[in-house]
Amino acid sequence: MFKYIAKRLGQSVLILLLGSLVLYVLVINSGDPLEDLRESNDPNRENRIQARIANMNLDLPWYTRYLTWLGGAARCVIGQCDLGTSRDGQSVTALVTQAASATLRLVIVATLAAIIIGITLGIVSAVRQYSGFDYGVTLMAFVFFSLPVFWFAVLLKHYAAIQFNDWLPAGQISLRTILISAAVIAFILQAALGGHWKRRLATFGVIFVIVGGVLFYMDAVEWLRRPAVGLPIYILAVIGLAVLVIVLTSGFKNPRVRNAVFATAGIAIVGYAVMRPTLMAERTDPETFRGATLLLLGCLVAGVVLAVLAGQLLGGFSRRQATGAAVVTSLFSSALAFADLMLSHWSGYLAVMPRPIPTIAAVTPNFYSTYWNHMIDTATHLILPTVALTAISIAAYTRYTRASMLDVLNQDYIRTARSKGIAERKVITRHALRNGLIPIATIVAFDFAGLIGGAVITETVFGWQGMGNLFRVGLEQVDPAPVMGFFLVTGSAAVLMNLVADLAYAILDPRITG
Amino acid sequence: MTQEAVLQFKDLDVKFKTEFGRVHAVKGLNLEVRPGEVVALVGESGSGKSVTATTALGLLPKNAAIGGETVVGQHSITKLNGKQLRTIRGNHVAMVFQEPMTALNPVIRVGEQLTEAMEVHGVAFGREAWSRAVDLLKAVGIPNAERRAKQFPHELSGGMRQRVVIAMALSCDPEVIIADEPTTALDVTVQADILDLLRSLKDKLNTGILLITHNMGVVADMADRVAVMFKGEIVEHGTAEEVLLHPQHPYTKRLLDAVPHLGDGHGQFGSKVNPVTTDELALEVRNFVIEYKRQGKKPFRAVDDVSFDVRRGEIVGLVGESGSGKSTIGRALLGLIPAHSGEVRVLGQDLTKLRGQELKKLRRRIGVIFQDPAASLNPRLPIGDVIAEPMVVHKIGNAAERKARVHELLDAVRLPRSAYNRYPHELSGGQRQRVSIARALTLNPDLLVADEPTSALDVSVQASVLEMFTDLQTEFGFACLFISHDLAVIDSLAHRVVVMQYGKIVEKGTREEVLLDAKEEYTRRLLAAAPVPDPIEQAQRREERHRLLESLGDEVVELDTRELDQ
Amino acid sequence: MTDNNTPQSQPVTDEESQYSVEDVIDQTTDKSYSQGQLVMRRFFRHKAAMGGLVILLFVIVISFTSIGFGPIPGWWDKDFMTPSTVQNGGAPTLKLWPFQIGEHPFGQDTIGKDYFALVMRGSQVSLFIAFTVGIIATIIGTTIGAVAGYYRGLTESLLMRTTDLFIIIPALVLAAVFGRTFGSNVPILAVMLGVISWTGLARLVRGEVLSLREREFVAAARAIGTPSGTIIRRHVLPNALGTIVVNATLLISSAILTETAISFLGFGVRPPDTSLGLLIQTYQNALTTRPWLFWWPGIFILTIALCVNFIGDGLRDAFDPRQTLD
Repeated sequence: MFKYIAKRLGQSVLILLLGSLVLYVLVINSGDPLEDLRESNDPNRENRIQARIANMNLDLPWYTRYLTWLGGAARCVIGQCDLGTSRDGQSVTALVTQAASATLRLVIVATLAAIIIGITLGIVSAVRQYSGFDYGVTLMAFVFFSLPVFWFAVLLKHYAAIQFNDWLPAGQISLRTILISAAVIAFILQAALGGHWKRRLATFGVIFVIVGGVLFYMDAVEWLRRPAVGLPIYILAVIGLAVLVIVLTSGFKNPRVRNAVFATAGIAIVGYAVMRPTLMAERTDPETFRGATLLLLGCLVAGVVLAVLAGQLLGGFSRRQATGAAVVTSLFSSALAFADLMLSHWSGYLAVMPRPIPTIAAVTPNFYSTYWNHMIDTATHLILPTVALTAISIAAYTRYTRASMLDVLNQDYIRTARSKGIAERKVITRHALRNGLIPIATIVAFDFAGLIGGAVITETVFGWQGMGNLFRVGLEQVDPAPVMGFFLVTGSAAVLMNLVADLAYAILDPRITG
Repeated sequence: MTQEAVLQFKDLDVKFKTEFGRVHAVKGLNLEVRPGEVVALVGESGSGKSVTATTALGLLPKNAAIGGETVVGQHSITKLNGKQLRTIRGNHVAMVFQEPMTALNPVIRVGEQLTEAMEVHGVAFGREAWSRAVDLLKAVGIPNAERRAKQFPHELSGGMRQRVVIAMALSCDPEVIIADEPTTALDVTVQADILDLLRSLKDKLNTGILLITHNMGVVADMADRVAVMFKGEIVEHGTAEEVLLHPQHPYTKRLLDAVPHLGDGHGQFGSKVNPVTTDELALEVRNFVIEYKRQGKKPFRAVDDVSFDVRRGEIVGLVGESGSGKSTIGRALLGLIPAHSGEVRVLGQDLTKLRGQELKKLRRRIGVIFQDPAASLNPRLPIGDVIAEPMVVHKIGNAAERKARVHELLDAVRLPRSAYNRYPHELSGGQRQRVSIARALTLNPDLLVADEPTSALDVSVQASVLEMFTDLQTEFGFACLFISHDLAVIDSLAHRVVVMQYGKIVEKGTREEVLLDAKEEYTRRLLAAAPVPDPIEQAQRREERHRLLESLGDEVVELDTRELDQ
Repeated sequence: MTDNNTPQSQPVTDEESQYSVEDVIDQTTDKSYSQGQLVMRRFFRHKAAMGGLVILLFVIVISFTSIGFGPIPGWWDKDFMTPSTVQNGGAPTLKLWPFQIGEHPFGQDTIGKDYFALVMRGSQVSLFIAFTVGIIATIIGTTIGAVAGYYRGLTESLLMRTTDLFIIIPALVLAAVFGRTFGSNVPILAVMLGVISWTGLARLVRGEVLSLREREFVAAARAIGTPSGTIIRRHVLPNALGTIVVNATLLISSAILTETAISFLGFGVRPPDTSLGLLIQTYQNALTTRPWLFWWPGIFILTIALCVNFIGDGLRDAFDPRQTLD
């Protein structure tokens, strides 16, 4: 296994090297770097041309320039990157450092969201093949597959940001909107859950009442402006989560898993109750932000460690399953806690930022506020680009998962599993899913390359100063250094992603390691 | 009639709605299985036997319309809802499937697949279930059970996997086990072991077994009662001796006549091959070695120092179990796999030394028939083009001559000339295999390599193809290397027999020498394991086999109930 | 044990046909369906694909005949280059009820150019590029995939490494670089995009060929001495046709999106020529003031890509029907 990883990494480094050469040559030949100056009427034109030639080393042959760049880039290995300077003399290393985090944040969140949502939709539509839900998902997948991401992004900007911001300060949800939304959500969910028509009707009714009630309540207490959250709601949510995890993993019959999950939920509730005042504290000094982030991460790690402990101690004979379920419970309760913290600061943030959904930039420039306001600021900036990018990727994952699951569900071992009397839910999750995910693992790597491309466009639409911008401006100015900086980061990320996909493949399929 | 039936089919009727209309798969079927009894449901493909069995688990697809009743113990399967059905499956009725290679989930450990059913039905949990799983593996005769339980299915051989599937079926002590062609995918010696295991199971646990099979030898070996199914109906029903020895219905008679009988020799299906009159060699294989390269390991010798020959007009049967290297030799003779060393002389010329045009010329004189009639014809070409292909490749004749030759060959393999424009998917398996044979004969070859040409066919189809093959051989007089795992088929047409194991020749000689008076231990094991379709004779053969195994120091496989009583 | 009733070439007896599991070949008719004909029949019954095909043909016909193509004039009286006075704020004159086309059915842009002519020109460019990319990439991908899958060896490792390269340099990035270089010349841009789009198809064809070359009918062809080239042409590729055709449609739809995306970034088609992506980029901020300038090109991209994808889905179902009993 270790040998295999080393071999793949070695290959990847060679490919990166080759890729850098190809891209470098193509970029410097893509146009005339002096075009704008040649066309200008500046009296100082000649001097500026000479200055730029000197600055970009245009008098040197192309391979010397490439090797210089490569030498600088190679020093990244020892932590002393030198990615050259842009046309205007800025250090590309500095530009890349600034831009990378924003872009990677966007791409990684979008990838994860697309994988989770896409695979879930794919599984459900495969299980309900030829149902209304299946046709609906298929149609949506086709539409998103055919949708230009920039066009969709502009629409999002208009409807989900500008019009939402217009609506928010005094917005009321009309009774008609409540009824229609509740009916639509209830209809989709009953189609996904399926069953006999009586059961479907009951599902529809229950969900309609719940969604309608929630929307009505939210409207009545102006929840979108002053979200009412806090410990009591958190406790209810975590208990609900625990029940859901138990139902989805072992069912209530298995006492070991049940105890482990409830113990974890208990730990999460008590832990959060103790920590909440500390975490809620108003920090305004940027010096303390780092400590606050570390504290949050620490809580997350502690939660997971305690969950593993609970699973191991209480799991008994089904230790593995109990530990898995406990960790999932812990992760999701942490996510709930985080959501609670964010929402608790929402009205405060609204007071500073009355138009909360931004349409440009990765963070509000020159914004000095509390720790949590910065957190919310980053999150709100992330929302729209992530939605745009995810929507496009979901389609592919849904289609592939559906096809792969249908293939697996026709296999003999699924029939064997059913003939043992195993419940359909477990046939899907335990027997079909793992096999169905094997081919998906290879797609992740290809999709990641597509997402990087998508990120370039999305960043352009939303005006992010990210890697995409670096690439776009660099290419426009026939300036290789920023483009190569972009390539170095995204290429390495793709290599890593590829490696993760390979590992996932090996873990999912025991036949590989043999 | 002393005990209550554990499985009953009452007026069972199954129809499928398909794109091409309704298919009436089972038409008013009545049958019952009592505890400790093996009932065999026999039929060829399309008879509806597997569909019948599947109703007992309620696992038919949604497009099936089921009439009548299937009763397991006290429960009428058709009247149960999903949840009630699941309490029956695995617990009261369990199934052993045909394909051990695909019946186990490749990503879950063997032991976990065993414990799963126990935990679902509350038989045992956790560590207790695990130790019971290990006991079950021991009981079905898997050595090193503790280690095996932690392995994944791909680490086990086919026979081992089928034992795992049987152990899985036993895990919740079901009243009845449905075995759907449980030994079809296995080698004969493994088949005999699995049958021994199943037999001890009904004796020791008093389980009822419904055995679905097309193999009359297996029926004779196992069944107490037999029901013969044809196109959805039971045409004959009685004890094994009644049905197999005194069949009444014409279909049963036809089916039994079609079964090749080991020991009956040539002429079983009407025609006899001519005796060989010449000593001229058509094929001469000397010290032949074939190796497969493996990454990071030393190469694997699939064929190791093999020498034999085939005279003109002679049929030589090449016999062996899976992994013996018999098909590898066939493929190497056709130039599909490179030889490592040794000589292969076809009509005096060394195949391994020829290149280019010379080689191509020699290839004209070798014809080939493959096993799978579904895969050996290009689905995009009509039959006429398929048969004429060798003439096109070797640029022989014009269009009219080619067409005339194809018509001639269609007559020879007894297909109507109107098949000329048909596509392979419009023909049945036997008809496609006839097309394969016609293609092999297009250029009047001197040597024919037939790789398991009938093993994918139904028995009655196999009989007519074998008969036709014998006639063609008499007529055209080609030499033939007939590769097969089925000793009875080889017995019905070969002049001489070569037995292989692990890439080496174990024994070779005339048909009589090898099949009637084997010298080598392995050949005797093979012969002893091949079942014959006569319950009385088979019972004797079984005893003989057990004696042979004991004399060789092996154990007879049986369910070790001590492991389960702990 | 022997059956006395052995038929030679005489007609089969009643008993034999009555108790035979083999179907008798119908000799009354010579009509038979090839796989290709069966595929076509299934495709023509696929409603979504037929809908997609009809709409796509309509878009192709209307975009090429309306403003003409190259030297051939069209039936629409305005072209996409000439500005005129802006009437009624440039709003579209197209009305569905009562139906009316009017002077500027899709409206006018900010300097009064006829937007219908612009959108038609944009569709022409997008369709031209997409189909050129589709054809070139399919030819290259099929050839390389077939050679790599059949002969293995050097071509195969070359193909796999090239694919790795494309995971590291996203297709859009390469497309943008080529767009920056060749953007002013649409045919060359189309060819260059084709040259970088073949790897996915090649991988799929390779996989298909790898499994086909192990099939017995290929072994049978090799055994009678059929040359490798003939085997690939006659036995392997026709059976990989499904994979090739389905993925060629996917190539076309993704080429449309790539072309519009690089034009949107400013690296594709340059003014005064236009493309659907360029139109959206130019008018992305017009959504509130002149929404038609944003909506029309977007709807055309979506329609074309959606139709091609539906056709691809229909072809996939037609080639791989999975019509089993269970």
